[in-house]
Amino acid sequence: MMDQFWGLFLREIKRTYRNPLVLVMTVVQPFMWLAFFGSSFANAPPSFLEGYFHTNNYIAFLLPGVLSTSMLTVGMFSSMSTIQDKRFGYMKRILLTPTPKSTVFLSKAFGATTRGLVQIPVMAVAAMAFGVALPTSPGLWAIWVTGLFCLGLGFCSLFMTLTVTSTDWQTPGVISNFVTMPLMFASTALFPSASFPAWMQDFSRINPVTYSATLGRAILLGDPPWTDLGYLVIFALAMVVLGAWVSSRWLKIE
Amino acid sequence: MTQPAIFTEGLSKTYGTLRAVDRVNLEVAPGSVFGLLGPNGAGKTTLIKLLTALVPPTEGRAVVAGHDVLREPYAVKAEIGWVAAEVILDDELTAWENLWLQAKLHRLSGWEPRARELLGYFGLADRARSRVSEFSTGMRKKLEIALALLHQPRVIFMDEPTIGLDPGTRRMLWDLIRGIHREFGVTVLLTSHYIEEADALCDQLAIIDHGRIVATGTPAELRSRVSSDLIEVETRDPVDPETLRSLPGVIRVEGTGQSLSLRVTRSEEVLPALLPALGPQKVRRIHVERPSLETVFLDLTGHRIDGDEGGKVDFRKFYATIRRSRQ
Repeated sequence: MMDQFWGLFLREIKRTYRNPLVLVMTVVQPFMWLAFFGSSFANAPPSFLEGYFHTNNYIAFLLPGVLSTSMLTVGMFSSMSTIQDKRFGYMKRILLTPTPKSTVFLSKAFGATTRGLVQIPVMAVAAMAFGVALPTSPGLWAIWVTGLFCLGLGFCSLFMTLTVTSTDWQTPGVISNFVTMPLMFASTALFPSASFPAWMQDFSRINPVTYSATLGRAILLGDPPWTDLGYLVIFALAMVVLGAWVSSRWLKIE
Repeated sequence: MTQPAIFTEGLSKTYGTLRAVDRVNLEVAPGSVFGLLGPNGAGKTTLIKLLTALVPPTEGRAVVAGHDVLREPYAVKAEIGWVAAEVILDDELTAWENLWLQAKLHRLSGWEPRARELLGYFGLADRARSRVSEFSTGMRKKLEIALALLHQPRVIFMDEPTIGLDPGTRRMLWDLIRGIHREFGVTVLLTSHYIEEADALCDQLAIIDHGRIVATGTPAELRSRVSSDLIEVETRDPVDPETLRSLPGVIRVEGTGQSLSLRVTRSEEVLPALLPALGPQKVRRIHVERPSLETVFLDLTGHRIDGDEGGKVDFRKFYATIRRSRQ
């Protein structure tokens, strides 16, 4: 099982890093958010920023949020990679070896999540260029990256679960629109939840994106809330178990 | 008595109301090349999916390389190799990485010497580090067979191994299949809808139509089942088949109107009497065929193996899609 997982996982990684366009795409999108969306409050009065965002630099507020939403969008890649394997027949090659379907699922979910992690260093450098002070403690970074990894793994698993029987290129995109938009806006990734309507606040309180954004912001201030990390770990575990079970039952060669 | 490489008993697979594989009984001797011959949609691919433990049978059982496909699917998969009709490799990876991944999926250790040996055998040793996307179709096919042999399987499944290939590559592949069968002592089960391919490669054949095995035997045995010649006639005006039935040497007449097919003992003796009986001006086209696997197939199933042109067009479209999406 480890052999098979490792082989398929490295295949995902190699395929990603041999396709420069994919890498550029992965990195450019969150960078655009940071540069364009992040600059929208550049000339806002500092008193407003302090009162509303509790920081004088909106980009510092936005960075953990954008990293979280971008881990949410990499979920789509695990589905796309699976559908591509089905359409090219490669899934048949894998499933004609003694490889369990749940191992195929795990390799796709971990592969896509790892692919999402490449955004972190690029975004960190970009944020520093915009004047954001980043933590220097390796421990804080490890917690931050673990939280983002759990968030990505959870959503990759969720996407794989939702598209397990699909062979259509378009399905992941459609589902992504249904999943990404509400989860991004009904979270504290872009704005604090203080001025949300009550129903959106309720939704935001259970939304894993909120927990990841809050965790990142607390780390920028040097004080990681362990409960937020715990919530993300449980979310990831639950989604992985669900995805492995669904895949072992319903994953087909085409 | 050695254990058969493949053994099935009443093996069936039903999709909804469609019985894709219908009570198939097969016995494939170890070390043989066994051919499943049938038109597109006859159930060959479904039968392979059952034998490779990809889908569970609805009824009956199958034992492949000593393991039951339903009870021990992973044990079956560990003992079999598979060569796809459409050449399935990871184009982004190199030839060596494709072998490496196959080894990981089969959990092999110490596979490298055998991988090098196989690359050498197939003449790909100097291309081990090249990406598969740079390979020609023939090279891809060779690499795919190397992957199938890497874990020293007891049975190799080849689904339509030469479909869509040019005649030269097809010849090369025939030699290759004969070669690996000889060199590696592996049992080969291949499907085909090319009569001449089955004739050239297989020790044993099973003819499959509508999910059912209609005949089995060596190519020579099957050919000898039909001793009569076939004459197909097209005429300008309708002909009454009764007038032809009374001719000496005619066994049976099928069809009506302007298109008839006759089974005759010896066509060279029947033709001189047949033409005047039809009226020479009336004949538009006449076609004589000696006993062959093609006429056996026609006899057993009532239609020609390549009668279904739709299937062929589909495959061409399929290849075009693959090529486009690779770009």
